[in-house]
Amino acid sequence: MSHILLIEPNTLLATVYTRALQHAGHSVARVTGAQAGIDAADRRRPDIVITELHLPQHSGIEFLHEFRSYAEWQQVPIVLNTALTGTQVAPVMQALHRDLGIREILYKPRTSLQDLVRVAREHALAA
Amino acid sequence: MDVSDSTEGVRADSLLLSVAEHLKVPLTTIARQAELGQLTGQVELTDAAAIRVQANAALTLVDSYLLGLELMNRHADLQLEPVSVSSTLNDAAHDLERFANYYQVQLEVEVGGRFGPVMSHPQGLRAALLSLGFALVEAQAAQDMRGPRRVTLATHRTPLGIVAGVYGHYEALSAERWRAALGLAGKARQPITSLMPGSGAGLFVADAILRSMDTRLRVGRYLKQSGLAATLQPSRQLAFV
Repeated sequence: MSHILLIEPNTLLATVYTRALQHAGHSVARVTGAQAGIDAADRRRPDIVITELHLPQHSGIEFLHEFRSYAEWQQVPIVLNTALTGTQVAPVMQALHRDLGIREILYKPRTSLQDLVRVAREHALAA
Repeated sequence: MDVSDSTEGVRADSLLLSVAEHLKVPLTTIARQAELGQLTGQVELTDAAAIRVQANAALTLVDSYLLGLELMNRHADLQLEPVSVSSTLNDAAHDLERFANYYQVQLEVEVGGRFGPVMSHPQGLRAALLSLGFALVEAQAAQDMRGPRRVTLATHRTPLGIVAGVYGHYEALSAERWRAALGLAGKARQPITSLMPGSGAGLFVADAILRSMDTRLRVGRYLKQSGLAATLQPSRQLAFV
């Protein structure tokens, strides 16, 4: 199955996501912040990235710009799983899709584990 | 409604937005934890203790917020009384212990010397330290860092009074950033990115409670750690505790 880079600042929530994704057969590299995300992707290229936009020390947007600046990661599917609502994301929606190639934006409080696993599988397969 | 005449204080409506934004995280964690056992067919993967820890932290924040509102409304005639800081720190640490364990953060209490009680509101001081503790434990767990994660609840004497605070390894925390965060609370999604990814509600609730007691949170250092702390005035009354 796929190798997923999961960037989730809340470690308890990250543990739950990791278990669900591993149960679906994926391997997961789990980190809490942007720099650790870049380091993890360096160690092993992810098939898909699932990230929050609210990250400590750096914003998720900064992470996305840096991640996409590396040629080898420009085609890696990225899914946002964020606590930001649609209206909060709206001002940057165009940039997220057009400039940063975000495949899908999930509203974290309303996204079940089942949906997260399904979305990960679909985008990993499409890649 | 400001908690003091200072424009730096977070308004009650901004505080509510900040709390509401924060509560999404523990409630999402609880919902997804409950789902995990069903999804995998392995009931043991649903960690009931983790659910309890998250629910308790969320309820504590709500209680602290409500107490903060009450104290803000009673600010003009709030009665302060002698309170033992070291006992309050120990009580707060006891309540934080399980939460910290779950976030793999080592919790310590350090009382720098012996001193008498301070003038404060006992429930308010405890709620402020607890709120601050929950926020800074979560912030410590989210830091990109190697090595053990440690949070210290500490008190020590300075020429200005008795300082009580919560400290850890927060490299990017500064007085300027904290001041800016107070202005952004409830307005920005991440008012203090240098410290934590979320709304920082616990910090602002703690600050609001302390302001109702005529003090406030400031960035401080304890040994080699940095954090947020308040200066409390020693009680001139005879100390019984």
